Amino acid sequence: MLSQQDMLEAERHGKQVRSIYVYEAPVRLWHWLNALAMVVLAVTGYFIGTPLPTQPGEASANFLMGYIRFAHFAAAYIFAIGLAARIYWAFVGNHHARQIFMLPISNKHWWSEVFFELRWYLFLEKTPKKYVGHNPMAQLMMFFFFSVLAVGMVFTGFAIYSEGAGLGHWSDLAFGWVIPVLGGSMQVHNLHRLGMWIMMTFALVHIYAAIREDIMSRQSLISTMISGWRMFKD
Amino acid sequence: MTETFYEVLRRQGITRRSFLKFCSLTATSLGLGSAAAPRIAHALENKPRTPVLWLHGLECTCCSESFIRSAHPLTKDVVLSMLSLDYDDTLMAAAGHQAEAILDEVKKKYKGNYIVAVEGNPPLNEDGMFCIQGGRPFVEKLRETCADAKAIISWGACASYGCVQAAKPNPTRATPVHKVITDKPIINVPGCPPIAEVMTGVVTYMLTFDRIPELDRQGRPKMFYGQRIHDKCYRRGHFDAGQFAEAWDDEGSRKGYCLYKMGCKGPTTYNACSSMRWNGGVSWPVQSGHGCIGCSEEGFWDKGSFYDRVTDIKAFGVEANADTIGKAAAGTVGAAIAAHAAVTALARARQKAGETEEQKGEK
Amino acid sequence: MAAYETQGFKVDNSGKRVVVDPVCRIEGHMRVEVNLDSNNVIRNAVSTGTMWRGLEVILKGRDPRDAWAFTERICGVCTGTHALTSVRAVEDALKIQIPENANTIRNLMQLNLYVHDHLVHFYHLHALDWVDVVSALKADPKATSTLAQSISNWPLSSPGYFRDIQNRLKKFVESGQLGPFMNGYWGNPAYKLPPEANLMAVAHYLEALDFQKEIVKVHTIFGGKNPHPNWLVGGVPCAINLEGVGAVGAVNMERLNLVKSIIDRCAEFVEQVYIPDLLAIGSFYKGWGYGGGLSSKNMLSYGDIPQKANDYTSGNLLLPRGAIINGKLDEIHPVDLKDPEQVQEFVAHSWYKYPDETKGLHPFDGVTEPNFELGPKTKGSKTRIEELDEGGKYSWIKAPRWRGHAMEVGCLPRMVLGYLQPKQYPEIHGLVEGALKKLDVPVTALFSTLGRTAARGLETAYCVKLQSQQFDKLMANLKAGDLNTANIEKWEPSTWPKEAMGAGFTEAPRGALGHWIRIKDTKIDNYQCVVPTTWNGGPRDHKGQIGAFEAALMDTPVAKADEPLEILRTLHSFDPCLACSTHVMSPDGQEMTTVKVR
Repeated sequence: MLSQQDMLEAERHGKQVRSIYVYEAPVRLWHWLNALAMVVLAVTGYFIGTPLPTQPGEASANFLMGYIRFAHFAAAYIFAIGLAARIYWAFVGNHHARQIFMLPISNKHWWSEVFFELRWYLFLEKTPKKYVGHNPMAQLMMFFFFSVLAVGMVFTGFAIYSEGAGLGHWSDLAFGWVIPVLGGSMQVHNLHRLGMWIMMTFALVHIYAAIREDIMSRQSLISTMISGWRMFKD
Repeated sequence: MTETFYEVLRRQGITRRSFLKFCSLTATSLGLGSAAAPRIAHALENKPRTPVLWLHGLECTCCSESFIRSAHPLTKDVVLSMLSLDYDDTLMAAAGHQAEAILDEVKKKYKGNYIVAVEGNPPLNEDGMFCIQGGRPFVEKLRETCADAKAIISWGACASYGCVQAAKPNPTRATPVHKVITDKPIINVPGCPPIAEVMTGVVTYMLTFDRIPELDRQGRPKMFYGQRIHDKCYRRGHFDAGQFAEAWDDEGSRKGYCLYKMGCKGPTTYNACSSMRWNGGVSWPVQSGHGCIGCSEEGFWDKGSFYDRVTDIKAFGVEANADTIGKAAAGTVGAAIAAHAAVTALARARQKAGETEEQKGEK
Repeated sequence: MAAYETQGFKVDNSGKRVVVDPVCRIEGHMRVEVNLDSNNVIRNAVSTGTMWRGLEVILKGRDPRDAWAFTERICGVCTGTHALTSVRAVEDALKIQIPENANTIRNLMQLNLYVHDHLVHFYHLHALDWVDVVSALKADPKATSTLAQSISNWPLSSPGYFRDIQNRLKKFVESGQLGPFMNGYWGNPAYKLPPEANLMAVAHYLEALDFQKEIVKVHTIFGGKNPHPNWLVGGVPCAINLEGVGAVGAVNMERLNLVKSIIDRCAEFVEQVYIPDLLAIGSFYKGWGYGGGLSSKNMLSYGDIPQKANDYTSGNLLLPRGAIINGKLDEIHPVDLKDPEQVQEFVAHSWYKYPDETKGLHPFDGVTEPNFELGPKTKGSKTRIEELDEGGKYSWIKAPRWRGHAMEVGCLPRMVLGYLQPKQYPEIHGLVEGALKKLDVPVTALFSTLGRTAARGLETAYCVKLQSQQFDKLMANLKAGDLNTANIEKWEPSTWPKEAMGAGFTEAPRGALGHWIRIKDTKIDNYQCVVPTTWNGGPRDHKGQIGAFEAALMDTPVAKADEPLEILRTLHSFDPCLACSTHVMSPDGQEMTTVKVR
C-alpha cells in the first residue's frame, strides 16, 4: 500500500518538483547513529568471541578486554535505545517511517512490485521504477534482516548482558527468560554471534544496493539519508 | 548422633527452664494459650529427623560420591544427626525386598513429610526397561515414591537436565525428573556432580529453615547458582586485561592466565565452583588449568567441543560454528555483490553505448 | 533347562529360586537370581545388569578430544579411570607421545583413585557384609580398646573413644530411625565377629568416611575436582611453574607439598587402620572359604602404571599384565588388546543384537544395538519381571571372553599375577606372602570371596607405596629441569590422519578396562568400552559358559534363604560397578516378610 502511495507521490511530484521530503530528521539521525553503533558492535563483538593475542605485562596494567566489552555495551545501549526510539517514530513520524516495520503482505500489487524489483536486480527489467521510500524488495529485506533481527539481537544481547549484571538487574527481569528458552547460555552466545554475521552480511547488500540504485535508478538514496530529500534526476 | 531440637539447645548451654519458657512464649505468640506449651515442648523434644529417600536412576553415582566428600557439615553428621537417610541403594545395609520394604514403610509412616532425593533419571524408551529395579521400570518406582513426598531434590545434571545419557541422540530417552513429576516442588541442583558442600548446604537449609530455598527460573537455588563461574573467577583480572593461555602448557598456562581461548565455559556456566571451590576448597577446574566444561548447564554435552570458545552449531546435519557460517555467508554474499556489480556495469555500458547510438541516429 | 556342567561347575536350576533386586551397596543397578537346593546351597546363579545408557551410541560423531569427559561419566565411583583409558586410546590412535611429567601425574591420580576406591569399598560398601552394627552395642569399650591397641598403633583407640562411639550408636538405634542401617541382616548367623570387633569396625567406618574426602584432594590439585577431574589428550591440563612469575597460578611447591602430605596420610591410614582391620576381620572368617568362582581357573589383567611414559609393554608396568587360563598358574599368557582373537564380546544372552550371535566381535568391530527381549520361560511380564529365563536374553551386560574363556578381573588377578612374578613384583609378592603367613592359610585361600577382599587391601598397601615412589619420580624429573606437562603437536585436528584406530587400557580398581576407538575425518566413528564389570558380571555366552559373578556364587551355602547376606558378600567382594536395584522374592514370587532389627 505504501509503495503504491510512493508511486503516486513519485509520479505526481517527480516531474514537477523533482524532489520529495522522505526521511525526517530523527530517522536520519537514527540511521547514522545506528550504523555507527553496528560497526562498533560488530568489531568489538568479534573480538569478544575471538580475543586479540595476549597482552604483555601485569594484569593490573592492562584492561583491553574490559575496554572492548565497555565499547560493546555502550554501543549496544545506543543501538537498543535508538531502535526503541525508531519504533516510536514509526508511530508518530510520516508514513515512510513505518515502512521497515510492517509489510503489506495482503496487498497483491505490493507483491507484484516485489517480483518486479527481483527481476530488476536479476537484470530482467530494463528500466527501474522510482520509489519515494524503500522499494518493496528493499522493504522486505529490511523488515527481516534488520528489524526482526535487530529485535532478536537486542533480546539475546541483553540476555547475555544480564548474566554479568546479575539476578534482579533490570536486564535480567526483562530478558533473563531468553536464556532457558533458547537452550542455555552457550547457545544464546552462539546465536548472538550468528546474528552478527547475518546482520553484517545484510549490511553489505544494503550498502551495495544503495550505491547501485543511486547510480542506476537515477534517484538519490545516500544523500537522501543525509538531507532527507529524495532527488529525482530525470 | 540423633539430637532433637531440644538437645541442640541444651548442648548450646540453654537450660531446661529457658527452653520451657521459650515454649510457652511460642505458644502465646501463636495464640494457642499456655495449655499448648507442653505440647510444643514435647514436639521439639521428640521431633523425628526428616526421612530422605535417595533414589538412583540412570546415573554414575558421582553425586553420591560427591555428597560424601562434604567437609562442612561432615557427611556422617548429616546422615546420622540431621536427617534420616532411610533409603539409598549405594549405602544401605539391606538389599532386595528388605530394601524395597523401606520405601513403603516410609511412605505410609511419613506421608507428606519426607524428602525424595533423586540421582540420575528415568529412561522412557523400551517401556522404561533401560533401567530395571525390582523387575520393574525405574520410572514407576520414581512416580510411586514421589507421590507422597514433601519435596524432591534433583541431584546433579542427570536428574536436573538429563546429562550424558540424554546427550544426542539420547538412545534411552533419559528424561529429567521435573518432566516426569509435575505436581511437586522440585529443587534442581545441577552439576556433574554438584559440589559436595552445595549438596549438604541445600539439604541443611531445607531442614533448618523448613522451607525450600529461593529458586531461579530453572529451579536452581539462587544462593549457589545465581552467578556464573566467570563472575567470581580469580582469573577474571587476566580476562579483562586480555591475557590468555593460547595453548596447553604455554607461558600463559604457566602464569595462570585466563583459559577463555582454551574453550573455558565459565562465562556461560552458573555454579559456585569459582567461589566455593572443590573438595574443601583445595582447587577447582580453572585453578588446575583446565577450562570449565559447563557441567551444570542444561545439555552441556551438545553445546560443541569443550575446547572451542565459539562452538559448533548443529544444523541440518552440518556442523559449523557461528564464525565459519558467518564468514562463509559474508564471503559468498561479497562475491555475489562483486559479480552483480560487474554485470551491472557491463549492462550499463552497453545501455549507454546504445543510447549514444540512438542519439547519433537521431542526429 | 536341565542341569549341565560348565567350567567345572554343575549348574542346576531345579531348586527354589531366590531373587535379589536391587543388589545394594554397589555402583549402578543389578539383579541376581539363584536356585537353592534342599540344603540351601546355591546351584545356579543368574547375574543381570539392569541398566543401559548407550554411551557408545552417543559418542559417535563427536570430537575424540572430548571423549574422556563422556566416558568418565560411565562411573563416578572409579572416577577418572575411564577418562585415562579414553585419552590413552586417542593417543594410541593418533600416535601422540606424552611428557614424562604427564605420565607420572596420571599415575599419581590413578593410584590415588585406587586408594580411595578400595578404602571406601571396604568400609562403606563391603564391611556391613562382615560387621554386625547392632552387635557393637553389646561391646565392652575397654576390651575394644585392648583389641584395637593389640593390632595397631593408630592413636584413636582409647576406651573413652570407643565408649563415645558406642553411646552415639546407642542413641541412634534408640531413636528408631536407623537410616542406612534399616532392615539390615543384623543377627544373621553368618556374622561371626565378636561385639568388640564390630564396635571397632563401626568406629573405623565413621573415621574412614571422614578421611576418604581427604584422599581425593590429589585429584583436585591436578584435575580441579573430584568426582570427575579433568584430563587432556596429549598430557595433563595442569601446568607446572616452580619459580617463575605467576607460579601461584600453576602447580607449584605448595601444591606439591599438599600432594605429599596427602600421600603420607594415606599411607598412615592404610597401614594403621585398613590393613589391621582387614586381617582382624579376616581371621574370624577364615573358615568361610566360598566364592572363589573363576579365580582359581581364569584370570585376566591388562596391567597399569607405566613407569616410563609412552611405554605400555608389560615390562614397564608396575601393576602386572597377563592372563591365566585353566588354573595353570605357572603359565602367564601375554595379552594384546588389538589382537582380534583375544578379546571378544558375545551377546547370545545379552539384550543386544548381532548379525550372528554365536560369534563374538572384537571391540574394534563392536556393535552396540539394544534388543530387549525376554526368554520364553520368564515369569511375569515385560515390565513386571518376577523371574528371568536364563535360557534367553537376560542382561544389559555383554559377555566378553578372552580366547573364548570367561575371565575374572580385578584386584585378585592382579595380586596373584604379581605374586607369581616375584622378580618383577617383589613388593606384591612380599605383601601377599606376609598376609598368608599372618592368617596362616595356603595360597589357594586367595581364591575365595575373602581372598578377593584381602587382595584389595594388599593392593591398597602396594598403591600407597607406589604413590610415594611416583611422587619422588616427579620431583626428580622437576629437579632435572623438565616442567613439560602437555604435548600439543597433534592438538589441532588438521594434523590428524584421515582415519585412525587405537586402543587404550587401564586397570580400573575393579579390573581390566579397555576402550577401542576408530577416528574418521577427525570425528569418532566407533567407540567401544569393555569394562571390568562386563567381564565379571556378564551373563552366559552362546556355549552356556557362566560369568565370574555367577561362578563365584555357585556352591555357596546360605544360612537363611530369605536373607541374601552371603550372596551380597560374594558379589560385593568384586566391587560391582553397575547401578543398584533391590528386591528379594521368595521362590513362588511372593514378597518375603521384613526382617526386624533386633
